[in-house]
Parts: sequence; C-alpha cells; structure tokens
Amino acid sequence: MYYLNISDSPIDVDALYQKLKDPQYGGIVTFVGTVRQWTGDIETRFIDYSAYHPMAEKQLEKLAAPIEAKGARVVIAHRTGHLDLTDEAVFVGVAAAHRGDAFRWCEYLIDTLKKEVPIWKKETDTDAVRWGD
Amino acid sequence: MQLHVKLFAMLQEQLGDVIVVSVPEQPTADQIKQAIADASPNLRQVIGTARIAVNQEFTASGPLDVGTDDEIALIPPVSGG
Repeated sequence: MYYLNISDSPIDVDALYQKLKDPQYGGIVTFVGTVRQWTGDIETRFIDYSAYHPMAEKQLEKLAAPIEAKGARVVIAHRTGHLDLTDEAVFVGVAAAHRGDAFRWCEYLIDTLKKEVPIWKKETDTDAVRWGD
Repeated sequence: MQLHVKLFAMLQEQLGDVIVVSVPEQPTADQIKQAIADASPNLRQVIGTARIAVNQEFTASGPLDVGTDDEIALIPPVSGG
C-alpha cells in the first residue's frame, strides 16, 4: 500500500526507503529533490513551501493508485514550511519487480507531481523573492 | 450567485485567504476567473494562468454545477518538487 505524506516535518530518507523494501520487488528507484543554492546567476537563500493540503493529498493518491494497481509500491513525501539549502523538499520512491518499471514510474511521478499537485514554493533569493520556478 | 473562492500562494499573499465574487448560475471556470480578475486587475496575468478546483478536483471546461456549499479554489501554477 502506498505511503503519501505532506508535512512540515523533515524528510527522513532512510525511513522512507525502508518502506519500499519487500521480497516481491527487485528494483527500487528513489528521487530526492533538495534546495539548490544557484540557478544560473540567481542565488537562493531559502525556500518556503505551502500546500492546499486536502487537495494535494488527493492528487498524490490519484498518481499513486494506478501504479500500485500494476503491482508496484509508491512512497512520496513532500515537505512544507521553511527549508534551507540542501534540505530535502521531496522524496519519490517506487519499488517494482524490475528496474525498468521502477525508473519509468519514478520519473513519471515526480514530473506529474510538479504539474498537478497544488504545492507552491516561495523562493527567497539574494536579490528578490520569487514565486514558482 | 456569490461564491467564496479559496486563494493560495502569491494570490493568497496579495488578496487574503478567500475572495467573494458574484458569478452567473452554473458559471464556467473562466467566468469565475474573470470575476476574480475584475476585482483585482493588477493580478490579471497570474489569475489567467490559474485553474479552478471544485471540491478539491480540477475542473474541466463547460458550466460548473456549483453552489454556495461547494469548496471552490483558484489554483495558480503549481511549483512543488
């Protein structure tokens, strides 16, 4: 069964990884998104993430359920609140029988999360405050 | 009909948690967005790129069967991850 979480608590990568381990799976792919300092010439100091919580959680369920129905396991955590450089903002993990599906579905999940899940970042850079990418 | 529309991100920062707008019965998402943009013309561009959600689901095009009990939200372009 999938595990989905959106909260202000720090992302515990090791604990989330453990949720993906199971004898039926032979491939685990994880993606961790972290707060980056430089985007071209723009220097980021910190990021605040906010979410439309109940809808964001429903959207994650919609992403995870069809992949779980194919026999894989999905673990997604997104942090909200104040994040400093190098902090983990998002964890996406897929465990599948074989690596091909695990790679493909992990990429699909993070790409779709970035488009369809109502979470926003407010980036405080050295020169300005910016919403979004 | 008056609708209470939840706001998020930069729109929430500028306009507050909720905006109340008057729209026709069974409005389209574009009509709701238009009403919000008319009330806050300096944010017209970002409102134009936002989507409407009803009861925590993104809406399709066409008239929306919404009433005052429904949870309406204006979702600006998301940027999680």
